[in-house]
Amino acid sequence: MAITRVEVTPKQGTGMRDVRGDVVRRQLKADHGIEVLEVRSITGFLIKSSVSSPEISERVNDLFSDPIIEDAVTDSLFLTSHSHFPTVPDAAITVGFKPGVTDNPGSAAYDGFRTIFDQEEPLEDASISTYQTYIFYGLPSEVTADWLATKLHNNLIQRAVVADSEACAQAHWPAISYPEKPPQTQTPPQAVNLEISDEELIALSESGLLALNLEEMQTIQGHYRDAEVQASRAAVGIVGNAPTDVELECLAQTWSEHCKHKIFASKIHHVDTETGEDSVIDSIFKTHIMKPTHDMQKEVDWLLSVFHDNSGVIAWDENWSVCMKAETHNSPSALDPYGGAMTGIVGVNRDILGTGLGARPIANTDVFCFGPPNWEGDLPDNLFHPSRVLRGVHAGVRVGGNESGIPTVNGAIVFDDRYIGKPLVYCGTVGIMPRVLPDGRESHIKTPTPGDIVYMVGGRVGYDGIHGATFSSLELTEESPSSAVQIGDPITQKKMLDMVLEARDAGLITCITDNGAGGLSSSIGEMAEYTNGCEIDLAKVPLKQPGLSAWEILVSESQERMTIAVKSSDCAAFEAMADLHEVEATPVATFTSSGMFHVKYNADTVAYLPIEFLHDGVPQLQLESEWRTPKQPIFNPETLELGDDAGHSPILLDMLARPNIASKESWVRQYDHEVIAQTAVKPFVGVERDGPGDAGVIAPLHGNPHGLVISCGIAPRYSDLDAGAMAAASIDEAVRNAVCAGIDVDKMAGLDNFCWPDSIESVKTPDGKFKLAQLVRANRELERVCRAYRLPCVSGKDSMKNDYGSGENKISIPPTLLYSVFGDQPDVRFTATSDFKCVGERVYLVGISKEELGASELAFMMRENGKSDGIGGQVPLLTHPEQNIDTYRALSTAIHAGLIQTAHDCSEGGVAVAAAEMCIGGRMGAQLDIDGTGESSVWSRLWGESLGRFIVGVQPEHEADFIEWMAGHPLTFLGTVTSSQELIISDGYDPLIKLEIPTMVDAWQNTLDLTGGVA
Amino acid sequence: MTSPRVAVLFGFGINCDHETAAVFNLVGGDSERIHVNHFVQGNRVLDDFDILAVPGGFSFGDHLGSGRLMGNRMRFALREQLHAFVAAGKPIIGICNGFQVLVKTGLLPGPHASNPLPDFVQRASLTLNDSGRYEDRWVTLEFDPESPCIWTKGIQRIDCPVRHGEGKFVMPSSTDFDALAANHQLTVRYVDPTTPAGQGMTDEPLPFPISPNGSMRNIAGVCDSTGLVFGLMPHPEAVYAKWLHPHHTRGSAPGPQSSDALGEWEGEGLQMFRNAIEYVKANR
Repeated sequence: MAITRVEVTPKQGTGMRDVRGDVVRRQLKADHGIEVLEVRSITGFLIKSSVSSPEISERVNDLFSDPIIEDAVTDSLFLTSHSHFPTVPDAAITVGFKPGVTDNPGSAAYDGFRTIFDQEEPLEDASISTYQTYIFYGLPSEVTADWLATKLHNNLIQRAVVADSEACAQAHWPAISYPEKPPQTQTPPQAVNLEISDEELIALSESGLLALNLEEMQTIQGHYRDAEVQASRAAVGIVGNAPTDVELECLAQTWSEHCKHKIFASKIHHVDTETGEDSVIDSIFKTHIMKPTHDMQKEVDWLLSVFHDNSGVIAWDENWSVCMKAETHNSPSALDPYGGAMTGIVGVNRDILGTGLGARPIANTDVFCFGPPNWEGDLPDNLFHPSRVLRGVHAGVRVGGNESGIPTVNGAIVFDDRYIGKPLVYCGTVGIMPRVLPDGRESHIKTPTPGDIVYMVGGRVGYDGIHGATFSSLELTEESPSSAVQIGDPITQKKMLDMVLEARDAGLITCITDNGAGGLSSSIGEMAEYTNGCEIDLAKVPLKQPGLSAWEILVSESQERMTIAVKSSDCAAFEAMADLHEVEATPVATFTSSGMFHVKYNADTVAYLPIEFLHDGVPQLQLESEWRTPKQPIFNPETLELGDDAGHSPILLDMLARPNIASKESWVRQYDHEVIAQTAVKPFVGVERDGPGDAGVIAPLHGNPHGLVISCGIAPRYSDLDAGAMAAASIDEAVRNAVCAGIDVDKMAGLDNFCWPDSIESVKTPDGKFKLAQLVRANRELERVCRAYRLPCVSGKDSMKNDYGSGENKISIPPTLLYSVFGDQPDVRFTATSDFKCVGERVYLVGISKEELGASELAFMMRENGKSDGIGGQVPLLTHPEQNIDTYRALSTAIHAGLIQTAHDCSEGGVAVAAAEMCIGGRMGAQLDIDGTGESSVWSRLWGESLGRFIVGVQPEHEADFIEWMAGHPLTFLGTVTSSQELIISDGYDPLIKLEIPTMVDAWQNTLDLTGGVA
Repeated sequence: MTSPRVAVLFGFGINCDHETAAVFNLVGGDSERIHVNHFVQGNRVLDDFDILAVPGGFSFGDHLGSGRLMGNRMRFALREQLHAFVAAGKPIIGICNGFQVLVKTGLLPGPHASNPLPDFVQRASLTLNDSGRYEDRWVTLEFDPESPCIWTKGIQRIDCPVRHGEGKFVMPSSTDFDALAANHQLTVRYVDPTTPAGQGMTDEPLPFPISPNGSMRNIAGVCDSTGLVFGLMPHPEAVYAKWLHPHHTRGSAPGPQSSDALGEWEGEGLQMFRNAIEYVKANR
């Protein structure tokens, strides 16, 4: 088939801009300080079809170019046009996709192509590939075209063709070709001989990216030595005494750390060198997460579904239930920040769609951990600069969330040097579903029966995403495979989502789950547990390109796919619905009760595994844990030198500018946070809508103010002293954020998302025992705090290999728990936000400031500035959480009683930063006195991060009632909101801080604004 | 009298269909979310409805230009049905991506008043914001009181969120704008909120973020010469209630003091949808 080239470029003229080019110009300025005079852009299409070039040329303005704003050429390069590009540029760089990489604009163009060229013959082989050309004028001489190209593309997934100034002068323009994928030949299933030595078993696991340890390999070996197993296999005509490659891959995926959470399920021998404790924990998950939640489930009637489904479900009102899930996509985001993060968000959306009989995603949350965006140190090989990771991850989540029509209502961005080795990309989604479907079934219960037909719905299967689950169970190396990276296609998924929810309401779905890690092997394999068996025919699975082997089809993690079971009598209706929505739905399997995971390729059996062995056969890990308190040089603020006059004021400005504290508005505003018309408290609040929001509040039923709160807490710095304190702080912060928004503390649920460095002692990880002890302590604190708060953990996830490299160059992330809270908000018309509301507002501290400066943001800043040796000291502790929750309940009910409209939690930077943020949001000054807020030093009362604290504002007319309402809870009067534009903080008669609000606004807003402006 | 029936399109990446359907129902409409292909395949007939709404979203991912691929589907597959709908005097609204779709099908700003029925010729476009960024932010809008637009009667100034990356309204020449202005089809513009109400509209480009996208003449929305077909980039449906206004937490969300729909909590955006429902009731 012929290939026709079409190029499009924006018209030049008054009021017209080449925005795509201009964005590149601004980013070069913002990220690298490079001033380029002008950047222009060309969008290219390579159309492979039987339609002739002249025919395409005639319709070019109907599809490829918008005649009002663009010009187009067919079958030539625009750069040869002197009328459009009269000046010789300094560089021209074309970026296109590598063969086989998802090209969303190309797919959309092809869809549009079919609308216009509605040919008799199907255009099955036709497709369109897109590219961008950037043309640079006024490039500084020291900037080479090759360097520019590295900033404009990621060679894992893209190709660049470069014309430097010499090539431009000679009119040697970059002409990229169609990314033809070399034909692949299918390899028939092979038997894999496991009758080999232990060393060879390990070598096999490593070379095949199976990520299985020796005991697991031996367990598989043992399975195939069983005479009964051999006999049953012979009966279906599959090799008897050895696994096929299909089976081995299937077991590796299903038994991966990613899918089976083997560390959380392990038997841990835990030693505490300080207390002398020597004990055994049989599964952290069952002991510290599942058991407490199940205990709570006995006492309330609203915990509908916990742990076993794709997300945890709680009853919200009589008619509706809500669910939430958060996931991480760390390894893919390290390799391709854009694609990795996008598949993260659209992937967790599918978890919601795959909950019960299908829930509708209605809100997203995004929490990222990156290296410092202004990092000037060395970067290990194959790692991107943190600012590029930030841009890419942000863009991926933005496109994934916005195009899916799901508002991003809450999130955070945390910075630490160690996240250079592995960025953390947490994506969460909240869903809603009717509690009872029109056909009378409860929506949170799946109802499959043997004989149901299993469909693969949505996207097709390709080479992309092979080995994602096992890859994420290994540390990142220079050889990490590009096939583990994919680019999401939100529109294909949106079409599928629309269709699936219609099918749910029509009663057509008996069982549904998403295709994520492990692909069909996991999705059908997990659903087959319900009926105890399935039979799959891989030959029926639609493919993106021919040539995939059976095992690749089974484990590929290609995106945008759900696996859905339908009664055979409903198949016709289901397929008609899919047709209408232009969604591909293909029957690929049948549920059985055979007890077997039976996989065929046409008539041949290629895998035949007992369901029980597949899901419960993995041997329990036995791990060693040993706690010793980390030794950190003490942070002693008394040794710091302050300027005589300025006092603490310059410190506050520096703190406000810290990336961990600074405003993320320029990034967050690029997420749609208001689609669905339900967001009652937005990410930014206040007079100028630029003060920090503590939590998201939504009212998802139109016309009804009944709401939900979504919040999060994360405090990885504290892990440097005690990962247990880190966990407690994360939970407390999430709950306090939710309390500010008016959550009902008696109807809230949590999600625990652990990201840890490798915690299994080995040559690669000599400190594995300590890292595992950190995990033990974090989980013990999680149980203690959640039991005290009556806060059930309804869903969670762990990512346990967040390391880069090995030996001296190894970078391990700080142990990080993201704790998310979602729960009931009885009436969104009653909520509090952080901005001060009016002059004369009375300001109180709820809670007590203790001597707890260890691992504080202040300590980290002073260490980075060379003013302090260490960050050590007392880390904030939750000593009496059962008292805290009573205070939180009082505060939340005070909000609903209409007594307060202003509340803000104290976290990074303590009282000083919280007060500054409240002034910024309200654009109002305040005069505050921290005397009496605790027995601790002035440094701790001003900058300390003691838990359980809020600053609240009370209108004078409600002050007496509020004080009475809060009787018995720690409450200290701080001062008053003033008509001045100044924040003044004193300690009794000692002045501490005096700053103008505009100065604080600048400090807070400038650090992370990397947009390069708008002009 | 039966409630006016509203067809709210969805499919292919439209994503504001639920709330758009809901706001019509709040003001007495009988709305239904209908997949575009039902009309294309003839399962359903546009003529059965009194009002057509094309909601916001990312139809076809905005690839090849926002609204373009959906616009083509409508231009080629629903041409007769759309023509008949406008000829029958039935209102159409396009919000955000829906506005982009209506512009790219040629329904907006549409042909000259002398021959006002749709000819499906594209005369304007909505292109990338000057900032180069998709942003969700609140803007202040002011409406031309003399506009023939049936959707905006009696509305002077409202706050609304914009949520788009391609909202810059452009036409080839200033005479094109002058012709629309003369007919009061430049229905709604971005204005500086510090100006007195009724005095904010100007042709001079306002700075970011007052004008969030660099739109020529600060245009936020236009109507066709009949005033029946209207499109705008901002999202009035997203402020149907005061609790969706960012300042409701400060007790200062603007809007009517009372309403049949939401009591004292009706937001400023709802009136637009009520106008269309009332128009249909009055004209049948």
